[in-house]
Amino acid sequence: MMARLTAAEAVPSRRRLPASALRRRQLAVSAWLYLTFLAVATILAGTFVLAFMASLKVDPLERPFRLYFDQLNPAAWIAAARLGQEGAGDALWGGFSPGAKVDFSVTYAAPVGTTIVEPNAEIPRRRPGSGIAAALMRDYAADYASIALKSSSSAVMQVRDEETGVWEEWQTRTFVYEITYRTDRRNGPWIERTPLNLTAPPSQTLIDSPISPSRSERRGRLLSWDNITPGALGLIFNNYRRVIKETADLQTGKSLFGSWLVNSLAIAIGRLVLTLVVASLAGYALARLDFRGSRLLFAALLFSMTIPAQVTFVSNYLIFRDLSLLNTPWSVIVVFVASANVLLMKQFFEGFPREIEEAAIVDGANRFQVFLKIVVPNAKPALLVNAILAFQGAWNDFFWPLVLITSPPEALTVQVGLLSLRRSYGGAQGDWGLVLAGAFISIVPVVILFVLFQRHIVSTQVTKGIT
Amino acid sequence: MSRVSSDERSGWLFVLPFTISMTLFFVYAIVRTAYYSFTEYDLFTAPSFVGLSNYTTLVSDELFLIALRNTIGFSLIVTTVQTVLALALAVLVNHAVRVRGLVRTVFYLPSIMSSAAMTLIFLWLFQRDGFMTAIVSTVLAYRRHMLLFFVGMAALQGALVLNARRSYEGVSIFDPFFLLAAAFGALALIVACALAGLLPVFDNDLLISWLNTQRHFLFMPVTLWSVALMNIFTTVPTLMLLFLAGLQSIPSALYDAAEIDGANAFQRFRHITVPALRPVTFAVVTMGVIGTLQMFDQVAILGDAAPLASRVTLAYYVYESAFPAGASSRIGMASAAALVLGILTIAVVYAQKSVGVKERAE
Repeated sequence: MMARLTAAEAVPSRRRLPASALRRRQLAVSAWLYLTFLAVATILAGTFVLAFMASLKVDPLERPFRLYFDQLNPAAWIAAARLGQEGAGDALWGGFSPGAKVDFSVTYAAPVGTTIVEPNAEIPRRRPGSGIAAALMRDYAADYASIALKSSSSAVMQVRDEETGVWEEWQTRTFVYEITYRTDRRNGPWIERTPLNLTAPPSQTLIDSPISPSRSERRGRLLSWDNITPGALGLIFNNYRRVIKETADLQTGKSLFGSWLVNSLAIAIGRLVLTLVVASLAGYALARLDFRGSRLLFAALLFSMTIPAQVTFVSNYLIFRDLSLLNTPWSVIVVFVASANVLLMKQFFEGFPREIEEAAIVDGANRFQVFLKIVVPNAKPALLVNAILAFQGAWNDFFWPLVLITSPPEALTVQVGLLSLRRSYGGAQGDWGLVLAGAFISIVPVVILFVLFQRHIVSTQVTKGIT
Repeated sequence: MSRVSSDERSGWLFVLPFTISMTLFFVYAIVRTAYYSFTEYDLFTAPSFVGLSNYTTLVSDELFLIALRNTIGFSLIVTTVQTVLALALAVLVNHAVRVRGLVRTVFYLPSIMSSAAMTLIFLWLFQRDGFMTAIVSTVLAYRRHMLLFFVGMAALQGALVLNARRSYEGVSIFDPFFLLAAAFGALALIVACALAGLLPVFDNDLLISWLNTQRHFLFMPVTLWSVALMNIFTTVPTLMLLFLAGLQSIPSALYDAAEIDGANAFQRFRHITVPALRPVTFAVVTMGVIGTLQMFDQVAILGDAAPLASRVTLAYYVYESAFPAGASSRIGMASAAALVLGILTIAVVYAQKSVGVKERAE
């Protein structure tokens, strides 16, 4: 409760607040606290939710920022699945393959008195996205597709004028186009995307189509769709598919983002194994065994945790250069000094009962046998926590891969890869859908790990903080 | 005796891998960095000894001085704000909420994500025509509404409190129940005024350069303020949970006893909460100082999205000197700057430690 009035200010004739009022005040206090907490949680989660929504959008920088668009609209998912099914028999990822027969209907509206003309429809020879993907594109839907008007029908609808509030009668016309894979090209390839352009006079407005146009140009005259046969997932996760497919190596055509993920995984697993071995051995020795130099080693351990990697990287870079191990995953795996992990293991072993080991030693086992047979099997919780931390640290590591792996492009890790994504696509007019999709893919392994082992990580974060 | 020597031998064997890694990649590396700081070296021809000239060049290098200033400013701001904010939030929600399950996951999410992914998300938020700009622009558009809300709320609260004080004693000016009522009242007032068309909306087409700018605010470039905002956003939730864990380990009997003795809320905070949280606070500040003084990833990811002088930190200066784009390496300068960074970190950590220890002894 808040500060009370001092007695001097109070006039004697006044009463104290009744108990029910005090109770109300207590409830109000908790209401404020919950509101604060809710606000914090909303800001926190909201940022990620918004960024994720933006990563699905065609243009994440659009203004005003819409909260409801095709990628979040179940009706559009169903339409996209139908179009994908008709285009390539694949309702999930869509495409355009021989035998395709796609119905695409668009409805225009105009005030009474204006005639609605048939829009000029074409399958353009458009390159997708930017940069590398355009260079890799071989087959264009334009060369294999033919488009024809199948039918058209008219109707009227009521429109309320925003300014006067009067209901007006507008006419509408629906055009159904049929896009077919040309019969003279029966052995043609599967094509990922089927773009479509519709040009119509600005007096008529598009009011309905199965999926919304990707952009409108020339003051609404030209409406263009990047892909009218996306399939449901192809519509929703278009940017995610693009980030995998469009960051490709020019020579081999192999996905760069894919190999970055593989590299990161290899490095993270390598470092996990190495860290577990090094940290459990050293942690056990520092906790249990009395040997000369242990104090010095422990001091060095604590000291190394405060010194930034920038102080040591020149020498380490030279070591790996002299061993010709630059640009290999080995350098990034080995270079890390696992001080924090050793500290964690040491703390765990200090709370580990000594009696069992003593008994085994009396029975004639040597230290290493004791360690392997008795200590390690009983240290599973600590080893698990250490494994998670090591994996997460290695996966998220940015500095060492940046210094030690610079070329070729497919040798990078995913974090450094994100930097190159940023450089190529993350400008003021950049392709932010691609950048955000890349960022979200890169956090998936760590988030999975976290959700699976949440309790363990949380408890260590606390212990890590206290020490 | 044989037991001791066997411990000695197996001890050394057990720590051998760690010792090798520590010696080679840490101790030897620092010694070499120290050596290179007295030489001129470009990674290819043999280093030549130049004495202290790297250090004298460093002191007169404008970019280095900017980097030093940026680093210290950034560290000071971020460490202070994140610690205070996390503590305040923890104290605030301590008795109201038990953070569990999914909510806890949400709170940890920013801190388990890589700095690269986090920075990209923030870069998107901080585009010139991005979401942050949209928020500011909305606030400006509805400034009348907000002004009316606060004025209305203050007026209502004043009226309610004065009215209650006429017949009751002990009604605080911030009485929470009246505050809630006043907030709802003010909200209703705004809705009514807006529906009646009395409140204008100021349309604007704002573009704000959060990152790509040379402007300064106080002693730090605007770019780094944006990065500081992101850092605070990333760390506060986790630090708040740390403080919460600390708070929940304080026995509530202490507070009850103090309340009986007549201590008010602030006195209880000052004399019970603060001392009990000292170890956690010490850890949080230490982690904060170490983390912020070596801030590198965010600056590197920003790259050409912001001018060098607006984003450079010491750690980045070191990297940039060692691997400059399109120029030959200046390892001597990089090493000298690296040593400055290392010594600065140690000095701050130990200064903070001695202060913490002294306060604990009191």
